Amino acid sequence: MSAKKTASEKELRVDQSTDNRLMEEVRDGRVEKLAILFERHQVMLYNFFLRLTGNRSASEDLVQEVFVRILKYRKTYHGQSKFAVWMYQVARNVHIDHLRKQKPEVPLDEQFTEVPSPETLPVEKMDAEIDVALLRRALDQLPLKKKEILLLSRFQEMKYKDIAELFGCNIGSVKSSVHRAIKDLGKIYCQLQGGLTP
Amino acid sequence: MNCEKTREQFADHLTGELDEKSLADVRAHLASCSSCREELESLSAIWTKLGVLPPEQPGPALRQRFYTMLEAFKEGIEEEKEKASIGERVSAWLGQLVPRRPVYQLALSLLFLAIGLGGGFLLTERARTAAKIEVAALKQEVKDMRQTAVMSLLQQKSPSDRLMAVNWSTQLEQPDDKIIATLLDTLNNDSNANVRIAAAEALYLFYDHPRVKDELIDSLSVQTSPLVQLTLIDLLVEIRERRAVEALRTLIQNKKLNPQVKKRAELGLAQLS
Repeated sequence: MSAKKTASEKELRVDQSTDNRLMEEVRDGRVEKLAILFERHQVMLYNFFLRLTGNRSASEDLVQEVFVRILKYRKTYHGQSKFAVWMYQVARNVHIDHLRKQKPEVPLDEQFTEVPSPETLPVEKMDAEIDVALLRRALDQLPLKKKEILLLSRFQEMKYKDIAELFGCNIGSVKSSVHRAIKDLGKIYCQLQGGLTP
Repeated sequence: MNCEKTREQFADHLTGELDEKSLADVRAHLASCSSCREELESLSAIWTKLGVLPPEQPGPALRQRFYTMLEAFKEGIEEEKEKASIGERVSAWLGQLVPRRPVYQLALSLLFLAIGLGGGFLLTERARTAAKIEVAALKQEVKDMRQTAVMSLLQQKSPSDRLMAVNWSTQLEQPDDKIIATLLDTLNNDSNANVRIAAAEALYLFYDHPRVKDELIDSLSVQTSPLVQLTLIDLLVEIRERRAVEALRTLIQNKKLNPQVKKRAELGLAQLS
């Protein structure tokens, strides 16, 4: 463990716009700078994968794989696009490869375990738990692209123009995808809710 | 602003990125159009509701793995740099041998190309036939070795050795009758449930072998471990083996049967009949 140095607090607090410069340094051989990028983005990436896969341990593996690939392909980083756009491009590829390898086993929404037992929960909390489970299930029913766009815009602090760059389309179609994704999600959520209430 | 233009702004409205002018336009339209108002209300409701999905923290192992990987990578790079510096010296020395003028360089490469093509043509024909025979012999040899390894490992006392044997057997393209018989024997008689499950899964790959389907069905009545029973039921349903119906019915009637297995068997029965 002595060789391991986590990135310092000060470095982490630096403005996000320095991501690009850090990645350029990594590209040019100062690979230890990747630690700062890892500390800045690991939690966000982990939650991105968690919402996509519903599987905690797979999500950790996928985050690790993203940073392995960033190192492997560091020479291909050309600073024209934001680091985050490039990173999510890697993340999407990692996720697609994961889907290819994955055998359908336990349905995704069932992998979110630890549903607390009803006796220990007040009614409002139980309602909230059901809500979360329903939303996750509804999200899982969205087609992958819509789900990705929705997650990126809602949770990953990605601007529409960055998402457009990531998907190689124009900003208008990203906006209408978000619009449609939410509308579809709402419909699925209502259907699921209807299925639950007697 | 009409409905279409207004709705185009909704995505920006949700993220709070509308400038004041557009926001005022949208609001003016909403004041007079109930259908757009309802649309935005329902979009906003879902957008807000998504906030209930809690962000989670990854486990500490992730960080540990990352730093281990980074350290290993850095060490790897150092080694590469050393190798590269030797490589650079060698290539600099080779570089001196190559003529500087592009015309001579071109001539030299054409000469090498001609030598390569001519020599290659002469050698290929002879080599190709020899290689074909050699590859076929090697393939057969590897296959024989695998079969022998599988057979001898399956006799070992350690369950992990036997598991490895079963896994190896799945790499055989066309296992002979002896291997199939040994796998079937393992499925029915091995003392370890994991080995029996692996054997069932391996046999599934060879289900077009004449004995396998019948034996898989028969095995259902022999197995006592619920996990093995579940695996067998899954496999039989997967290969749509209608002859399994009778075996499943008998299984369900067994009063000592594990309830989960019973449930799965009933589902399987429904899927098959």
